[in-house]
Amino acid sequence: MATWLNRQRSILDFTLSSLWKRKGKNIGLLLVFTLIVFLLASVMFFTYAIKREAQIILKNAPEIVVQRVIAGRHDLIPADYAKKIREIRGVISAKERLWGYYFDPIVGANYTFMTPDPFPLGKGFIKIGKGISGARLAYEGDIMPFRGFDGKPLNLEIREVLSAESELISSDLVLLSAEDYREIFGLPQGVATDIAVSVRNPREIPTIARKITELFPDTRPIMRDEILRTYDSLFTWRGGLMIFILTVCLLSFIIFAWDKASGLSAEEKREIGILKAIGWETSDILAMKSWEGAVISLSAFLLGVTLAYVHIFFSSALLFEPVLKGWSTLYPEFRPVPFIDFSQVLTLFFLSVVPYTVATIIPSWRAATLDPDSVMRAS
Amino acid sequence: MIELVDVRKIFNKGRPNEFTALAGVSLAIEPGRITVLKGPSGSGKTTLLSIIGCMTRPSSGRVSLAATGIPWTKEARLDITSLPERFLTFIRRQTFGFIFQQFHLIKGISVLENVMLPACPTGEAYKPLRERAVSLLDTFNLSSKASSRVEWLSGGEAQRVAIARALINNPSVIIADEPTAHLDSRLSLEFMDIMGSLRDRGKTIIMASHDPVVHDSSLADRVVEMRDGRRVGERE
Repeated sequence: MATWLNRQRSILDFTLSSLWKRKGKNIGLLLVFTLIVFLLASVMFFTYAIKREAQIILKNAPEIVVQRVIAGRHDLIPADYAKKIREIRGVISAKERLWGYYFDPIVGANYTFMTPDPFPLGKGFIKIGKGISGARLAYEGDIMPFRGFDGKPLNLEIREVLSAESELISSDLVLLSAEDYREIFGLPQGVATDIAVSVRNPREIPTIARKITELFPDTRPIMRDEILRTYDSLFTWRGGLMIFILTVCLLSFIIFAWDKASGLSAEEKREIGILKAIGWETSDILAMKSWEGAVISLSAFLLGVTLAYVHIFFSSALLFEPVLKGWSTLYPEFRPVPFIDFSQVLTLFFLSVVPYTVATIIPSWRAATLDPDSVMRAS
Repeated sequence: MIELVDVRKIFNKGRPNEFTALAGVSLAIEPGRITVLKGPSGSGKTTLLSIIGCMTRPSSGRVSLAATGIPWTKEARLDITSLPERFLTFIRRQTFGFIFQQFHLIKGISVLENVMLPACPTGEAYKPLRERAVSLLDTFNLSSKASSRVEWLSGGEAQRVAIARALINNPSVIIADEPTAHLDSRLSLEFMDIMGSLRDRGKTIIMASHDPVVHDSSLADRVVEMRDGRRVGERE
């Protein structure tokens, strides 16, 4: 064992010296390789983090949301529908919800308005997301004017700037009382945006949804699992788009690496011949070339993955924000919880380290099987 | 002792460019002596050295050597003619040290690393190996050049580094192919002196050369003359 380790150490020492003497080529290769791994790992980390974030947010969402549909369009739902839905066996609660979007011409962005029930601050007060606070430079105690449906302004006082626990969605959020909401949007009493239904037994959700449709044929019950699936496929699709583009990059890189690694220079062939002549076996040459490939690709892999980790989890995914995030124009300063999916990292490892190492070994194997006496004849 | 019996080597056999490099050479090389193979280009000297040094196999004939230090045999002599490549490499590494015409040092790495290279696959611990390489460089007055890159060396220094490299595994036989081809007369004589001192330390030296400084040297114990792949003369 000690002999094997010493042998590997000696071969690795020589490999590092060899790499260093061609430092221009190898550092260039390392940089390109690192960049590719960095981009791929960033996309992987980001899509996974964003999916997890959405799942966390939706975990507490109601099991069923009932919307009224007229002529295929979402319409306001009469509040007394909730009373009848509550009477269905298995339903714990059915609450009318008021929510919608408000366009702020000052910053040119849409805010999401929601009315929690109950809303302890009462009429005249609001809570706002960090994004809005930053864009409008509005903080606790400030008065924020809103333009009502009839053009009249309504001044509301900010009582709280929401924490960034789920920043991706809460960034553009305004929480206010139902009265203020109705006043801004001109909504009459007795109607709501939709109805949130809680169900005792999750296995009964489809049955209850069917009963709601039977009771109110003009409604559409949306189950939480459906929303989760939609989010999931949406983020997977976006991530998939990026992965597709980056796979093209990776393939280009493989061609580049293959070209760089597989084409042995005359100097490298001469060196292999000398090593064989002075007593290196074919397996020693292959071990040296494996180390060479592994040193470059593993360094690039570790460097790329580490940089991607810092990029996603410590610099708010600076490069990807405009591509992957944001339902409104306000981009949240989004710091996902650091998390690594090891199966993805392993996939990346096999996509980068293995092809490069193989590309390094194959041409050397051809050169290493030549008779060592060719060195004696070389002039 | 190294013994060759009716050794033939034919390149590109059966093709239009078939070429017979050795046409039945028999030779016994005694240990602890300097044997010089003398002859013009194409006489088969280098091919014979390659076969003796386990770099290539003969097309026919037998080559055997003393099996001292060969772990897998208890016989006194070992026939190396039909050994697989792995075993030939082992013998090449343990028994022979090579000095090539062009020195064949590896550029871009240090003198010390070059000297240590033949010992890398042996699995020897780094520290004693390095100490031995440093001591060899000291023997050849190259201590100050240990960390220099080989391309910065003069011809004479490169030659001495090549000798140090040939000695790193403490081989019993030194094979040198046209070792003075790129040296001036002074350096050629210096080289022969080094070979003489190695012989005095018990090494067997086999050289191929058509340089009179080598084959006319009083240090050469035996000169085997070759032409057209055959032995044509000899002097002690």
